[in-house]
This record gives sequence, C-alpha cells and structure tokens, in this order.
Amino acid sequence: MNIPPGWSWLGQFLLYVAAGLLVIWLLVTGYRALARFLGGRPGLVRPLAIAGGVLAVVGALLPWVTFPLNDGPYPDLATLQFFDAPFAVTGFRLFTLITGVAAIALSFVPRIPVRRVLRALGLGLAGVALVNTIFPLIDGGGFGAITAADGAFAFGGIVTLVASLVLFFVSKAGDLEPLPRWNTKVPRLVAYAALLVSFLVLLFAVARLLNSGSDSGGGSTTYSGPIFLSLLVFFAGLFGALHAIGFAGWLSAVSDDHKLFSVLVLLLAALALPFTEAGTDYWMTIAANIGVYAATAIGLNIVVGLAGLLDLGYVAFLGIGAFVAANLSGAAAAEFHIHLPFVVAALVSATVAGVFGAIVGSPTLRVRGDYLAIVTLAFGEIFKKAAQNNIGGLTGGANAIPGVPPISWFGASFDESFTIGGVQLPSGVLYYVLIIVLVSVVMLVFANLKNSRIGRAWIAIREDEDAARAMGIKTGQAKILAFLIGATLAGLAGSVFAHKTSTVAYDSFQFPESVTLLAAVILGGMGTIPGAVIGASLLLILPEKLRDFSDYRLLLFGLALVLIMRFRPQGIVPDRHRRAELAGEAEGGVPIEELNVPDSPQGATR
Amino acid sequence: MATLLQQLTSGLVLGALIALIALGYTMVYGIIQLINFAHGEVFMVSVFGALATYKWFIPQSWQGTWQIALPCMLVGAVLVAVVLAVLMERFAYRPLRNAPRLAPLITALGVSVMLKEFVRNFFPGATAAVSVPRAFVDKAITFAVPGGTVVIQSTGILLVVVSIIGAVLLQTYITRSRMGRAMRATAQDPDTARLMGVDPNRTIVLTFVIGGALAGLAAVLYGIHINTVDTEAGFLNGIFAFTAAVLGGVGSIKGAVIGGFTIGVIKTMAGQYFPGGTEYDLVWIFVLLIVVLVFRPQGLFGEPERVRA
Repeated sequence: MNIPPGWSWLGQFLLYVAAGLLVIWLLVTGYRALARFLGGRPGLVRPLAIAGGVLAVVGALLPWVTFPLNDGPYPDLATLQFFDAPFAVTGFRLFTLITGVAAIALSFVPRIPVRRVLRALGLGLAGVALVNTIFPLIDGGGFGAITAADGAFAFGGIVTLVASLVLFFVSKAGDLEPLPRWNTKVPRLVAYAALLVSFLVLLFAVARLLNSGSDSGGGSTTYSGPIFLSLLVFFAGLFGALHAIGFAGWLSAVSDDHKLFSVLVLLLAALALPFTEAGTDYWMTIAANIGVYAATAIGLNIVVGLAGLLDLGYVAFLGIGAFVAANLSGAAAAEFHIHLPFVVAALVSATVAGVFGAIVGSPTLRVRGDYLAIVTLAFGEIFKKAAQNNIGGLTGGANAIPGVPPISWFGASFDESFTIGGVQLPSGVLYYVLIIVLVSVVMLVFANLKNSRIGRAWIAIREDEDAARAMGIKTGQAKILAFLIGATLAGLAGSVFAHKTSTVAYDSFQFPESVTLLAAVILGGMGTIPGAVIGASLLLILPEKLRDFSDYRLLLFGLALVLIMRFRPQGIVPDRHRRAELAGEAEGGVPIEELNVPDSPQGATR
Repeated sequence: MATLLQQLTSGLVLGALIALIALGYTMVYGIIQLINFAHGEVFMVSVFGALATYKWFIPQSWQGTWQIALPCMLVGAVLVAVVLAVLMERFAYRPLRNAPRLAPLITALGVSVMLKEFVRNFFPGATAAVSVPRAFVDKAITFAVPGGTVVIQSTGILLVVVSIIGAVLLQTYITRSRMGRAMRATAQDPDTARLMGVDPNRTIVLTFVIGGALAGLAAVLYGIHINTVDTEAGFLNGIFAFTAAVLGGVGSIKGAVIGGFTIGVIKTMAGQYFPGGTEYDLVWIFVLLIVVLVFRPQGLFGEPERVRA
C-alpha cells in the first residue's frame, strides 16, 4: 500500500513552517541585538549613512536581472544589457541613485533630524529593492533570474536591500530626534504660495503615479505592477522624509489656517487632472468610478464613522439609486418609459434610497450594535436576491438594464471628447467633472454635518449610547437620520453610476462591494473627510495596476482589515478625537481604557 | 400531506446542521460578546478539510470503507476547525479585547473574507462547487404516508441524532463540569472570575475550541449529506446559524438548538409554500430575524439585557 500524497505534503508543509519560524526568530533576534549594539553609539550615524548611501549608488549601477524575462526585457534596462548603455539610469534605478546620493548629502546637513529622515528614505528604498527583486524572481522563474547566467551576477537588488537596511539602522544609533515644529505664523502670501506649489506638485505626482508603466492610452502593461509599486514606495519614502523634517506637519497646520484657500486649490488641482498626462479615456473612467465609490464611502462614513453603526449591506443603497435612475432614464429595457432630466432623476434616486435607508435603519431603535450589523447584512442579501430575480420588472434580473443613455446637457453628450484651448480632452471628461462636483458636494454635506449639533449627537452615540440619551439626545431620531442621510448620498452616487456605466446589473452590488466600501472607510480613517476618498482611490487604483494579483484582491482586503484594526485602527488619515481614543492614550497620557466603562454590562446576556 | 411531511423532514435535517453551527456562535458570544462572523467560514474551511483528508490522506483502498473514512474525515475536519479557531482567537481577537466594539467586529469580517478567498484561491478546483463523497451507509429510507412517501437519507438521520446528542453533552458539560463553571463565571464577569482563580484566557480559548470542534463535526456531516460544497457554503449557513442563535437567545444552548430547528423548518416551508418559492426563502428568515430582534431582542430563551450603572 502506497502512502497517500497528502502525508508527504503535510511533512513538507510542517518543515517549511518550522523553517519559516526559525528564520523569523533569527531576524527578530538579530534586529534586537543590532538595535541594542547601535543604541549607545550615536557617533555611528554619519559613517552608517555614508556607507548606506554608497551601497545604494553601487546597487543602482549594478545589473538586477541576468536575462530578459519571458514577457520581454525587465524595464529600465535592469538586465545585463544595461552595460550597453551605462548612462541611461531611469526608473527604479534612478530612485535608488537619488536615495543613495541624498543619504550621503543629508548626513552632512546640520540641524535636521537625520535619523528620522534616513529611516523614511531607508524604508522607501527597501520597498523599491524588494519589489524589483521579488518580481523578477517570480516572473523569471526562480533565483536564476538574479544569480548567475553566463558567469555574470545580478546582485543589484540584494546590494540595494542591504543599503536600505543600513540606512534604516541609522535611526537606531542613539535616540530619535523629536519631530521639529516649524513656525506656522507666516505671512498670508507665503502660505498661499506654499500651498499652491505643494498641491501642484501633488497633482503631477498623482498623474505620474497613475500613468507609471502604462501604455500610451493609460492601460496596464506587463510590467506596470512593479513600476507603479516602485514609484509608490519611492514617493512614500520621500513623503516620510518631508514629514520627518517637519514640513508635512507645517503644511497641514498652514492649510488648516487657510482652509478656504486650500480647498479651492485642491478642487482646481482635481479639475486640472484631465490636462495632465493622466488625462486619458482609461483614467477618466477609473477616476469616475473612484468618485462614485468615494461619494458612497463618505455616506457610509456618516453611518459607521460618526454614528458608529456598522452597516454591512451598504452597497444596496448605491444599487437602489442606480436602478431608480436607470428606470427613469428612458432606456429601452426600463420598466417606466419616461425620460426625466438627469437632475430630477438624481434627486428621485437619492430620495428613494434615503427612504430605504430610513426603513433599514428603523430597527436601530431597538437593535444594538452587533445585531444591527447582521440586520444590514440581511438587507443587503435581500436586495441582491430581489434584484437578481427582477423584482417587479425593475431590475432586469440577470439581463440587467442595458442602454442607459449618457447624460446630456445643452446638447452636449457627457461621453464625448472635447477640445479646450487647443488641448484635446479625453472622452468622459465631463463625467469626471460632474463627479468631482458630486464628491465636493458630498464632502461639504459631511463636513457641515460633522460639526453640527446632529454630528456631535452621532459621535456621542458612538461613544456611549446610554450616556448620550441621558444628555438629552434623541438617539432614535439621530440614528435613523444617519441612515437616511448616508443612504441619500449613496443613492445620488448611484444615479451618476447608472449613466456612466450605461448598464446597471445586480452583480455590481453584492457583498464584496460592501466590504470594499467598508474597507475604504476604515483604511482611509473612520470619521474623516479625506479618509474615504483616499481609501476609495487606493482600493480602486491598486487592482488596476496589479492585474497579476486580481485573484487575491479580496484576500488582501480581508488581511488589510485585520491588520489595520490590529495596528492602525485610526486609518491613514486619523480623526483627531478618534486618534486619541483608539491609540489607547489620551493627550494627557492616561490610557483611555481606564477611563472607559464597558458600554454593555458583560454577562447580561447569559 | 406528503409534501408537507417531506418538507418538514428536510427542514429538521437542515435545522440540525444549523443548530450545530449555531452552538459555536452562541458560546463565543456568550463569553466575550463578539459576533464571530468568521465562524461560518471556519465551518466551510473544515468541509474542505474533511474533503482533503479523504482525498489525500486516506489510502485509496480504504476510501470505500466508510467505517474508516468517516472517522478520518472527522479527525481532519475537527483538527482544521480547532486550529483555525484557536489561531483566530490568539492573533485576531485577543489583541482587541479592550478595543471599541466595532474593531473586533470588523476584524471578524476581515478574517471571514480572508478564509473564504484563501480556500477559493488555493484549494484545487474550489473556484466551482466540489463534490464530497457520501462516506456513510448510502441508503435512503422511505416511509409511506397518506398521499405519497417521505424520503430521508441515512446521513440526514445521522445529522439529527448527532446534533441532539452533541447539544445535550455540551449542556451537561457546561452546567456540571469544572471548566463549564469557569466558562459561565467568565461570561458573567471576567474580572471577578479572575479573582476566583479562573484563567480567562484559557477559558476563552476553550470556548473557541469547543465551538470550532462543533463546526468541524457539522462540516463532515454537511459534506457527506449534501455531497457538494463551494466557498459560499460558509456565508449563508453562517448567517442562518447566527439567526438561529439570536432567535433562541444568544448564550443559551437550548435556544440555539431550538432556533436551529425552527430556522431549518421555516426555510424549507417558505421555499415550498410562500410567494417567491426557494428564490426568496432566505428573505423570510431575515424577516423573522428582524422581527425577533425588534420585538424580543433577547430571543426566545435569553435573559433580557440589564443595563448596569
């Protein structure tokens, strides 16, 4: 009798697990020992920085791959053919070179927090090195891609990785400097100029990032994944360095002081995106989708972020809005054969979605937190089932509602391309503008609500419902209002979605989409305005760029949710109050848990 | 009449399965007030665990003998479920025990998405439904009733019997044993329980282990009864089980079992007699859930929530 195949597999698996644990243990021990060794030697900062910088420059000039990969030569002359054209240093090699030179130069600049700056640059460089070493390993079929071929070695990636580690360990030599605080009382003009320049730089950085590794139309190519990721981590490293010298904090304080101006500039920058290199049909479509998701996510942010009510079927409201708009658009497959102007249809969609929001929210009068999540999940499933079975002929079922006409105002159809001032703008640019307006309106609504009486009531309910009620807040009304307003915003976004995609099908509104929305809110930062937009952008751009990983998209979402809740529950852009609360420490340094009474008496259920 | 009885029978079998899963929800919620969203997925993963055991860990010559195959599958499934449950508790939920209540809930959601996608991506063939062997007496028993016959699979009978025995044993364990008393103490008041010499961490892990083991048991029975599994199995059955736990009163063993049978019967009956048929059967379950939550949030057998000052 033969041994079944599973047993040998299990043996191998356990072996790998043991080996992995050993490696992790070695790394952790090594890290601790090294950190302890460096801790008492602040004099090593400059030598380490120079060593790391030199290594990085060397790494940039070494070859990274020994042969052209199956999909063609790895980008930016990273293969051995580099030696044919030694002076063309572009792409990630350029980032490596810049980081290396910067590290050497910065170690001689007085009065900057060198440790913090180099830690950020080192982490960015580590990202660049890892992406561009691991990708050829996977795509090139193993270590042959970087070790020996024809007697030549391609150790660029490994040398750079070592360089990044050296730069990172600079921060362990002696104590980290405190974050410098710049004077924020600057003349108005200086502040305006700084904001303008920063947002312009941001605009071009975003455009470059979007188009990195793309073909001429903006679409993805074989290597857009690693090229995009390299640029992203490089930018992240640069931003970290800017943060370390205190510039980012200063800028955010200055923009807080001149709120109106920065909002205007940001809006203009967003509207200027079609004029940059990212102004292609492809990116306009993606940007419009991001806008729809961002508007919906802001609506969800009211429910989850402000009122603290977890909604797991939220995409249903987007779907309701889309189906209502599709039915009122005069599409041939629609149940009602009337064609309302878009603005009217959008208002009707928003209203209908809002009514459904109030209905779904009504159990909140009696149902508490965790149970509510299940009720909303159930509602999402009911919506899906109803739409799938073409309830009342309103959703088209599996056939969807195709042929929703594009929005048209004053004879201009929104899906056409335009020429302004001699610049040929991509088609779909009008949708992009419309969605920018939509997102701005939604943000405005959110910002005003958050700072209003009802917004404070929501936050009070989130913190402690009983206490809020004792303070005279009508909790029932406030909770239903949260659902109503959130759903209205989602319905509004849905009406744009229907016209933009032209086909409204039930399978765009299922549980994974709800998870995506929730992930966008949580990733960006619960209860904040830019958070939902940043989260939605990341969650929609990354899958576009990382097509190779599209099967693992949801897997990574799930992992991200777990990791964020564990290590950074406040998200990328933390809310000021929430940061204090979730980080476990209030401003005064008292752990917040010690101040909190559990919001539900434990054991009351048994 | 025959149709009614047939649907009732199928409903009871389905209910037995739901009850087994619901026990896991109810125990974990009872002790740490966490809706362990991922419990349904633990169930789903262990069906695949049972299948993997059958396919790759049992020599082919033994695969036809259910007396060997079934215990092996059981061991495999329970092992997978328990390991998952313990890992989940240790690395996802324990670090968040003092965090705001939204945090562990979202983590649970993340874990559940992760488990589902993991199986879908890495289990060979799991992108579509996978068939599971009927590793039990392959026999359908037919009863004659007025107006026709009622058919019940041998595996269905096994499910009902195992489910009821499991619940009774669990109830006995929790009310009579030393660890059971520790569990009840921790559920009531973890701090006082600690003062009385109960290790809350150990107790909570034990709760997860028991819940996981029951899910593993349910998984094997589900596999050999339904004979097919896909990655969606965890989501829907998990929701049904959760509804059953809520219906019966979260924290109550008796409630979970009775809730499970109720849900099972309602699902099959709604599929047969309610407007919309099987397409809308889960809608009726959700309607029931919402009605129960609104009018009797503590469920049928739960104690009403007291608000402590």
